[in-house]
Amino acid sequence: MNQPKISLDLILEKLAEDAGSAQERVRKAPEVLLGPLSTDIATTPYDVVYEEDRVKLKHYRPTTKARLNTPLLVVYALINRETMLDLQPGRSVVQNFLKAGIDLYMVDWGYPTRKDKYLTISDHVDGYMNNIIDFILERHKMPQINLMGICMGGAFSVMYSSLYPEKIKNLITTVTPTNFDTDQGLLHIWMKNVDADRMVKTFGNMPGDLMNLGFLLLNPARLMIDKYVGFAENMDNKDFVENFIRMERWIFDSPDVPGETFRQFIKDCYQQNLLIQSKMELDGKLVDLKKVTMPVLNIYGQFDHLVPPGACNLLTSRVGSADTEDMCLATGHIGIYVSSKCQKEFTPKIIQWLTDRDGRPTAKTKAEKRTGKGKIKAVGQDNLTEVTGDKSQSKEMINV
Amino acid sequence: MIEDRQDKPGQESKTTDVFKSTADFWSAALKMWPDINKFYKNNGQPGPAAAKPEENGRIQDTWQSALDLWQTFFSAMSEPETVDSAIKSLNTAPAILLKMAQTGWNGYSHLLEQWIEKAGQIGQKTEAYQFENLNHKTFDAWMEIYQKDLQQYLNMPQLGLTRGYQERVNELADKFNILQGVAAKFLYLLYLPMEKSFQVMQDKVKEMTDKGSLPKKAGDFYQLWVKILEGHYMTLMKSPDYTQALGEALTAFEDYLGSRDQVIQDALKSLPIPTNQDMDELYKEIYILKKRVKELEKRKER
Repeated sequence: MNQPKISLDLILEKLAEDAGSAQERVRKAPEVLLGPLSTDIATTPYDVVYEEDRVKLKHYRPTTKARLNTPLLVVYALINRETMLDLQPGRSVVQNFLKAGIDLYMVDWGYPTRKDKYLTISDHVDGYMNNIIDFILERHKMPQINLMGICMGGAFSVMYSSLYPEKIKNLITTVTPTNFDTDQGLLHIWMKNVDADRMVKTFGNMPGDLMNLGFLLLNPARLMIDKYVGFAENMDNKDFVENFIRMERWIFDSPDVPGETFRQFIKDCYQQNLLIQSKMELDGKLVDLKKVTMPVLNIYGQFDHLVPPGACNLLTSRVGSADTEDMCLATGHIGIYVSSKCQKEFTPKIIQWLTDRDGRPTAKTKAEKRTGKGKIKAVGQDNLTEVTGDKSQSKEMINV
Repeated sequence: MIEDRQDKPGQESKTTDVFKSTADFWSAALKMWPDINKFYKNNGQPGPAAAKPEENGRIQDTWQSALDLWQTFFSAMSEPETVDSAIKSLNTAPAILLKMAQTGWNGYSHLLEQWIEKAGQIGQKTEAYQFENLNHKTFDAWMEIYQKDLQQYLNMPQLGLTRGYQERVNELADKFNILQGVAAKFLYLLYLPMEKSFQVMQDKVKEMTDKGSLPKKAGDFYQLWVKILEGHYMTLMKSPDYTQALGEALTAFEDYLGSRDQVIQDALKSLPIPTNQDMDELYKEIYILKKRVKELEKRKER
């Protein structure tokens, strides 16, 4: 019989050590779990300045003197909630923007009920978003605002910018799917076979819990096992528990998606990939990406399993604007906004990019760049300016 | 067959006798009625029979007509031809019951056969990271038996006033049974990576033991296993079998919910509660009206 090549005593000794520390954790855990925990999310003060049906517009109270002339409107997805951008102090995109002196607005889509099942993408983009943007423009007596979209909200922002380019000064898309013809993500593979008509007929609105179950099934080993093993290993650590519960509160706070919007998004985007081909229509209005002529900053995650790089990185080559930039961060779909590493890259990049373009005249389109004509009317609070500068597209890959 | 024919005359005469005596009994009972009425009146006892004179007449008429009907029925039944046809009908009943029992037994034995076959395959090794052409025989066998032998009874056309309601209840039972089968298959698929990851883990541990490179911490073993499990899940989820099973599970779930909602809607009809269909119609009207109002408002502003 062969001699074992590793000492059994050593293994047993380590096992005993592990068992001891596990016992200690279990002993301490009730002190943390039963004690007071700070798990509130979205605590940054704001005022609701506009309401229409279930939709609200949040205006965050400035914490410092405004340094950018143009206000920024953030449009979140209809899946999950915008509270993700303000999960906790010190790890809040909202607070970082406020500290940088950005006048910040955010759309709260609310919780759709059965009466909202007939609302289409057009009702959201050409209806609610358009009314909100008109309200902000009127409030600030300005002709343009900055627009930032997140995930599906990014796709809505792209559509809006195509329909109303004159109202958008700069467009930022983050983890935004625009090219759906990719096999990089399981979601894209599955969605191609989904019978959206049948789902809408059955459910009315697409239940948030069902979608969450679908997202969990994308990686059960990590999302349904390893995640909670991690929690068990750290349940005696108050900070860890508080952060973990904040994230749980956000991730399972899932409003339903209005049925008609879901149907259109699946059929027009996931199954026919109309958006990136400039063939999508909203209530008969063509969404032509060539009309997206404002500067575009497109940020996405290298390890995003929901909206993989292949779904994001075509946009800048298809829009009409010549001032475009792609930024790929080495993180996942949510990590971009909440990981402490990305906090150092993501918001500073956006702030700098907006600051560079604040007060600057509207960028040239690709067509104007080709012909060398560059006389563009400046917008915002500036006067007429002659622009002849040339800014080529840049792509950067930042590993965080 | 010859025996049948020989038995018939005796059988018929016995049955005829029974029907005839029953008819005679009811005829005598009818004749007794005035005497009973008289008896209750004379004694002045309270009770159903001690009703008012005009009511007595109505009750007596009803009783009389019922007895006449019975007498006619039993007289008709005592005719030899009618008895023959009734006996024939009774003779077919055991054949129907036997057929139903036989169908059930066939299904059971078929299922047993499939299970035995499956049990024989338990020891067979499946390849790691392979999810093509998986063995779903047990689940497929159950679905096949259900669809072949049981489903037909739930799909039988229903009759009468409550036909529609009964059909929807049967449909719900049918969709529920299908959902059970499909969900079991889907859950089995989700369990497979677990099974396979344990197999791979065993091989890895053996390999590491041979090399003397076993991890010292239990946590390292766990990390290794989770990584293997994740790999298996990723492979499974890209497989056509999984996509098909997911699609089937979703369809069965949607069918079940649709049928359930129909039955609930039927139940709600009798209560002062609006159904989803009622509300959807109303919501659609509100949606269209709101859209028109907003459009008119915008036009007016311009």
